[in-house]
Amino acid sequence: MKVLIVEDEAPLRASLLDFLRHDGYVCETAESYRQAHEKIKLYQYDCVLVDLTLPDGNGLNLVRTLKADKSEAGVLILSARDGLDDKIQGLELGADDYLAKPFHLAELNARLRAILRRRQFQGQRHLAFRDLTVFPDQALVLVHEQPVTLTRKEYDLLLFFLANPSRVLTKEAIAEHIWGDAADMADSFDFIYTHLKNLRKKLQDAGADNYIRTIYGLGYKLVTED
Amino acid sequence: MKLLTTTNRYYLILVLVLFALGTGVLYVGIQRALAEEVDEQLLFHRDYLRQRIRQAGALPSMTNPNELTISKSVRPPGLGDTLIYDPVERTLVPFRQVSFAVELHGQRYGLTLRKSLIETGDVLEVVLTVMLTVMGGLLGCLVLLNRWLSRWLWAPFYRTLDSLRGYRLQQPQALELPATPIDEFSELNQALAQLTQRVTADYQALKEFTENAAHETQTPLAIMQAQLEQLMQLPELPETAAQPVHELYRATRRLSRLHQALTLLSKIENRQFTEARPVQLDGLVRDKLGQLQEFLEAKQIEPELQVAAPLSVAMHPALADSLVSNLLQNAVKHNVPGGQLRIRLDAHALEIRNTGLPLDGDPTQLLGRFRKHNAASDSPGLGLSIAQQICGLYGGQLRYTFTPDGAWHTLRAQF
Repeated sequence: MKVLIVEDEAPLRASLLDFLRHDGYVCETAESYRQAHEKIKLYQYDCVLVDLTLPDGNGLNLVRTLKADKSEAGVLILSARDGLDDKIQGLELGADDYLAKPFHLAELNARLRAILRRRQFQGQRHLAFRDLTVFPDQALVLVHEQPVTLTRKEYDLLLFFLANPSRVLTKEAIAEHIWGDAADMADSFDFIYTHLKNLRKKLQDAGADNYIRTIYGLGYKLVTED
Repeated sequence: MKLLTTTNRYYLILVLVLFALGTGVLYVGIQRALAEEVDEQLLFHRDYLRQRIRQAGALPSMTNPNELTISKSVRPPGLGDTLIYDPVERTLVPFRQVSFAVELHGQRYGLTLRKSLIETGDVLEVVLTVMLTVMGGLLGCLVLLNRWLSRWLWAPFYRTLDSLRGYRLQQPQALELPATPIDEFSELNQALAQLTQRVTADYQALKEFTENAAHETQTPLAIMQAQLEQLMQLPELPETAAQPVHELYRATRRLSRLHQALTLLSKIENRQFTEARPVQLDGLVRDKLGQLQEFLEAKQIEPELQVAAPLSVAMHPALADSLVSNLLQNAVKHNVPGGQLRIRLDAHALEIRNTGLPLDGDPTQLLGRFRKHNAASDSPGLGLSIAQQICGLYGGQLRYTFTPDGAWHTLRAQF
């Protein structure tokens, strides 16, 4: 998977690069509008992460260029400008998604995967993880080829974990992924605990191993191997 | 009141005073001139009679008693007024008379010449008729003139007014005012054009400032959050460090949310949300209740939604969303387990009532910024302030009341 990161802030660019490389993506970076423009004209990417506020130009113009070139690349806008207009305009121009800064890296990963999945896995749209197979199109979860019935929230939670294997997911990131705005309601962390407990139980009852671990003081993690 | 109406009012008062004065002066003048004329004629007639009596050596034979009386008793000579009963008109008619004496054949006769005066009422009538006709004509002309003036002369003013009404600060093009040959209006237009240019520049600067402030704050926060998240992934992170790192991470989130809320508040205050379309609030309430389902169930709250009339308000969709979710989240968050939540919509208001803990403190302070029920909570306590600002932006009002009986908290968004 080839991803272009367009971001002018060096530390953030480094974090994104580190994070996405660790996740197995082939990454390139651009720190200015000019550089990014050159790269998208020269190379093909599966997805482009575009920061809107660049020192020498507006990221929205990169989206325009990509769309004008009929590029296959998915576009995920990252913006610190809390502008609803930017979001609407970006999506209207054909960007696949919009994420306001600051964001959880896990959330970025979940969105990135969703974009890539929508664009690429034509035909064989499924995720496999150890003894687990998920068909996101049909919201079907199989353990050892046997279907498992999950609630909507449990399913969302499982997909979020599958998008971020081997990563510590904080309760905050999970809560915001599942409830969005309502995440800072007082009991949301208790609900995560309850949903996770149920999810683990359902998976284990179906014969799956316990892959979802609690990391003391931080959150939860989907472990790839014991 | 229109400018022209006001001018007319003063003009009318002035005209009325002048006309009253004029009528009085005219009346007195005419009366006096007439009286003088009558006196002159009487005196002339007296001299003529004296001469004739002296020449003829006899008194005039045929006399109309109303015009000339002759008696042997001599009255004191001179002019005087008298009233004589007119049997035909059955009224007393004013007469002017002059008495004098003549000597004929050694006998003194007293003669009195009289002349009827035109009745005062008649004179007044004539004067008033003339004056009122003139005044009526003048007023009629004034109305016509004003109509013409307001249509033609004031037209540039009304055009300016129309352009101003249609002008929106957020629109990209400058205010366009029609050129006019009238100095006052063209000065007004110039001043307005300059004013709107300055205001637009200020507004633009403010808008850019809010956006830059958001960008400049959120970017370092994004860096902090990303780095902390990466730090948390390190397998070699000791357990003693995990807790502080997580606290830092939470604080970063909190700061970022606080800043987002403040940016939203200042954007509402700066009226940066211009787009508005009708939003059906009942549908939105149902959606949001669905999203809060889990939180409601956890507290065993059965929300009751009563839609007396569908409420549709023209507002920015994102703000409508924020308003409803802030109010509902507030009602769930501060509810008690097993409590109640009643939502009522009518044609003008959205009312959310929930049971909760008794209120401590000033109810009017509740909508203020950074008001928190629980001081330790992560939420910045801006939700109700935001809701209040949104109501205010669309000409509405958010009111809070507390009923101690049953500890009901009521928030009513009136539009």
